[in-house]
Amino acid sequence: MKNSWIIALRELKERLGSRTFLITAILGPFVILSFLYLLFTYGGEGKQNWKILVVDPKLPNCSTGLFDNKIMPSEDNAIKYQFLNRYVELEEFRDAPEFQDYDALVEINEKVLANKVCFVFFRKKPSLRMQTQLHYQIERRLDEIMVQQNLNVSVAEFRKIKQPLNLTYRDVYDPYDTSSDIRSWVGMFFGVVIIVFIFLFGMTILRSVSYEKSTRIAEVLLASVDSRSLMLGKIIGIGLAAFIQFAIWFTLIGLGLYFMRETIFPDVFDPSNLQIPNANGTVQDIAPQEYNAFVELVFERLNLFNMIGFFLTFFIFSYLFYAAFFAAIGATAGSENDGQQFVLPLIMLLCFSVYSGYYVMQYPLSSWSDFLHYFPFTAPVVVMVKLALGYEAGHGYELYLSLMILILSGIAMLLLAGRLYKNGILQHGHRITLFTLFRWMKRQ
Amino acid sequence: MLEIENISKSFFRKVALDHVSMTIPSGEIFGLLGPNGAGKTTLIRIINRITEPDHGAVKINGELLRQHHLSLIGYLPEERGLYRSMTVEEHAILLGRLRGLEKREVKSKLEIWLEKFEIQDWKSKRIEQLSKGMAQKVQFICTVLHDPKLLILDEPLSGFDPVNVDLINRELLSMKSEGKTIILSTHNMKSVDEICDRVALIHQSKKILDGKVTDLQESAKTGEYAVKFQGNMIAFVNALWTGFEMVDKEVLGADRYLVKLKMRGENNLEDLLKTLLGQIKIEAVWEVLPSMQDIFVNEVQSKNTVIHEE
Repeated sequence: MKNSWIIALRELKERLGSRTFLITAILGPFVILSFLYLLFTYGGEGKQNWKILVVDPKLPNCSTGLFDNKIMPSEDNAIKYQFLNRYVELEEFRDAPEFQDYDALVEINEKVLANKVCFVFFRKKPSLRMQTQLHYQIERRLDEIMVQQNLNVSVAEFRKIKQPLNLTYRDVYDPYDTSSDIRSWVGMFFGVVIIVFIFLFGMTILRSVSYEKSTRIAEVLLASVDSRSLMLGKIIGIGLAAFIQFAIWFTLIGLGLYFMRETIFPDVFDPSNLQIPNANGTVQDIAPQEYNAFVELVFERLNLFNMIGFFLTFFIFSYLFYAAFFAAIGATAGSENDGQQFVLPLIMLLCFSVYSGYYVMQYPLSSWSDFLHYFPFTAPVVVMVKLALGYEAGHGYELYLSLMILILSGIAMLLLAGRLYKNGILQHGHRITLFTLFRWMKRQ
Repeated sequence: MLEIENISKSFFRKVALDHVSMTIPSGEIFGLLGPNGAGKTTLIRIINRITEPDHGAVKINGELLRQHHLSLIGYLPEERGLYRSMTVEEHAILLGRLRGLEKREVKSKLEIWLEKFEIQDWKSKRIEQLSKGMAQKVQFICTVLHDPKLLILDEPLSGFDPVNVDLINRELLSMKSEGKTIILSTHNMKSVDEICDRVALIHQSKKILDGKVTDLQESAKTGEYAVKFQGNMIAFVNALWTGFEMVDKEVLGADRYLVKLKMRGENNLEDLLKTLLGQIKIEAVWEVLPSMQDIFVNEVQSKNTVIHEE
């Protein structure tokens, strides 16, 4: 084990000293943070502050317009209403300098009570959330005006009676809406991180083993270290490098998100922005889908402390499982080019793993999902998705069963890869066939 | 020091070693000879526990060879490999530590060796900055750094210029005088003649010959003598008459010759000297022993002939 550790430290030192490692360590979080920034900025456009001009001409024989003082703009941070008791032509609104600050014009007239048609002229199309809010606020006030005019009920009483009705749509085949549950994306995110790291560092193992084989360094090392220790040392060393890189990513992304929260998007993350004021001054939570889903994904639903333990456990064991696989391929390849031929199938395997996570998001209760949950090649992603969705009561053992299968598969893969590594590392110039692999696997 | 007992190894259908046995005594330089593909490297890998034999055993100092014995062995493989991005010192530390040395020990021993080879300024150089010969030297140093009792060198002289060949040969002789055992696998027969005490010849996975170099030469000698002289060649030939047979002649200069001859009948070296004295000026006379090159070629060719006849 001492020699494995020496090999591991050499690998670690080489990786940490390589330019690629440094670039990936810094560039990776930068790219992710940039991506998140774009999502927060453009994905969350529903939270933009809009300034709306309500053109509400004076009613005949009245000094005010229809909507005067009916909408309470001071209570909504997202939408500011300004009233104008005269007609404004479309061209005037579009071109006149005094209206350039307004994002949209809402045209109200006396006919609106009869025909229920109200035009909103915008400069830039409002988001769905903004449209919903506008629609809700204007329609609500219209109701109140109609009640005031036609019924013998006070506005205050009407507001007590008329509570907003939230229609929640449910798929008859998926009544719990698990497939579109945003929580599963959290799991998917973790699973993809595992797979990306496995791919990056698995390829490093493959290249490193091929290099040592083609340059014959392996023989020098094998004269001091047995093949299994050499392979294990390599896997551990590169794994530590992966872990350090992950820690750097985690720290930098965490700091970046904190920085964004504190400086760039302080209003986006203000809890009060999650609420819409009511006409009577109370506040009402908006539905999650009306809010910026990405912000919520990262800051509200990503329960890092709950998931991080399982994430790290699955990260370690799935890395060991895949790393042994990559090392065996590197050792059995007849040449460096031969090893490169395996890159495409390996990418496909990892893509399959990612797709499995997506499949489980769509069909969490199918028997295929059960299989993928326990299948060691796909378990890291699928378990993360299921973990995010939450296991049903009494089914928590499934998580540990999957972990146990992954650990046992990892041990089996290490033993098998050890044989392939031992028998293949000093063989050169051959063509790999399944028959050869099978013979090497059988040989002690 | 090392006993190889009935080792056999096959790679699927190809037999690499077929019941090979030999004993390598302590404090000797042992030449492991054989044509390409004979099985030498496989045997060396088995001694280093890189490959496991199908049959047979290797004993070191009377004990069955185990992983912990590897610290007694220094191995320089034929196809050398070094991490190109590492410095000479980093390499020495890596391989030294794998052989059980502490980092501090490696550093001090490395200093001694670099000084001995007068290459102190290479210490911080990366391997990729060194020429092939320079890298070979570094590799040799890394092999002997942990002061192994048994040194296994597979073609250690390939890639070296004559000056460095001489340097390495001297180092090997010096190590031998310190009591170390050296296994030398090489095609450089001149070095075998010069420094090996004992050899084994492997051909087509079988050991076909082994023994002390002097004994092998003695048993293979053909009774030839060489005479280096100044004088008249006709007088020399006349003096030989029917008692001796001239085999070869080389003109060294004006009236200077090197002649190889064989005795006829009961004649011996004393008779030859008596015959020639007074006829020519003798510079040197010696018995011609076959070189290891001759023994190697003869043995391999004779085995090939036997195989073809079969």
